[in-house]
Amino acid sequence: MLQAHSLLWYYLWVGPNLILLALAFLLWKRRLHKAYPFFFAFAVVSALDQLALYAADIIPSVTPQWWWRIFWAGLMAEGLLKFALIGEIFGRVFDTYPAVAKLGKFMIRGVGIFLVFAAALAAAGAPKSGRFGIVSGAHVLEQSTYLIESGLLLFIFLFSAHFRLTATRPTFGIALGLAISACVHLATWAVAANGGLIEERNLLDFLNMATFHACVLIWVYYLLVPAKVAASPAVPLPENHLDVWNRELERLVRP
Amino acid sequence: MSLAIVLVIAAALALIFILGAAVSRSLQISAGAGLAGQIQPIDVEAFRNLIDPAEDDYLRRRLSAPELRLMRRERLRAMAAYVQTAGRNAAVLIRMGQAALTAGDADTAEAARQLVDNALLLRRNATFALLRIYVALAWPNSGLAVAPILGDYERLNGSAMLLGRLQNPAVPVRLASTL
Repeated sequence: MLQAHSLLWYYLWVGPNLILLALAFLLWKRRLHKAYPFFFAFAVVSALDQLALYAADIIPSVTPQWWWRIFWAGLMAEGLLKFALIGEIFGRVFDTYPAVAKLGKFMIRGVGIFLVFAAALAAAGAPKSGRFGIVSGAHVLEQSTYLIESGLLLFIFLFSAHFRLTATRPTFGIALGLAISACVHLATWAVAANGGLIEERNLLDFLNMATFHACVLIWVYYLLVPAKVAASPAVPLPENHLDVWNRELERLVRP
Repeated sequence: MSLAIVLVIAAALALIFILGAAVSRSLQISAGAGLAGQIQPIDVEAFRNLIDPAEDDYLRRRLSAPELRLMRRERLRAMAAYVQTAGRNAAVLIRMGQAALTAGDADTAEAARQLVDNALLLRRNATFALLRIYVALAWPNSGLAVAPILGDYERLNGSAMLLGRLQNPAVPVRLASTL
């Protein structure tokens, strides 16, 4: 099944996944896999899935049909893990704040239902291919998964921005990498699923792989490089504002 | 193919927002010191008058229907300005509280956690109150209840003062000057 590609192509296919496996190993060594179990699982499964696809691509006995079957299996496992990971990110950002956790859960469920309907509509609108159904079906499934994933992540970013909540450095890094990857992949798979750029499909693959590489580096940076220690971590409240508020309170308690 | 274009545009917009959020997060972290200056004091009594149902009853008795609608719209706009300020103050306090969450002292960290939670509640209620105010602006004769926000603001004052006291033990914080 091997098609001739440039060295850069092979590097972008294999390199980021080896880095991701190394990151998973370091997380395990530092016992961080217990803090981020779904990210750890996602890193391992995603990297192994892509390496298995690469191996299947270079082994001559693997037929195209079998290659696409492996692709489908990996796609579904990765999809489930990504949604579990989004739940993990949401929990880490909002669960410690009961004032917004309940509202957030209610809203993300609503957004999720809306996105599933939107993804189903988009999938119904994509052109069908009877002869290469296994290929076009995979494109549509990728489009649906990334549509839901990017929508949920965008909601988490919007919701936390509205409430000015800042996630911890590793959680933010995981969410940022996942969101960038989801948005770029949504765009490329939407083009692929709807029959665009057929002659230049390699360009879409390059864009996907380069984006994933960048996201892996984002994860490495945010999970392994410690944050700079701020000079004054605590911000004291100024006295004058407290006095103003005191006066307002006094007016309230003495009508 | 038009569906693909819609999805590509949506993905690009989402990506721009997410990258913007990443940039603003790093700016937020580096601009912690100037936060306190962003808090705007609110005249709670004036706000309380604005949402007082007795005031509304009085105006209904004294004014004709078109005048009352006009007056209600004016009062609703003023209410919106108060609520927006309360929401902005809550946002500043959330950031200040989050900055204090990492404090080594357990009491300060607990006070910061309480401040963040109260500020989040206020910001949430301010959002809902603003929605109600905008709906009421379209239909000035509909009922409007923004009173719960006042209670939240008072609670928030208490949390902020407790945190201030814990962070600056040398500076006594009075709850009432005459006590």
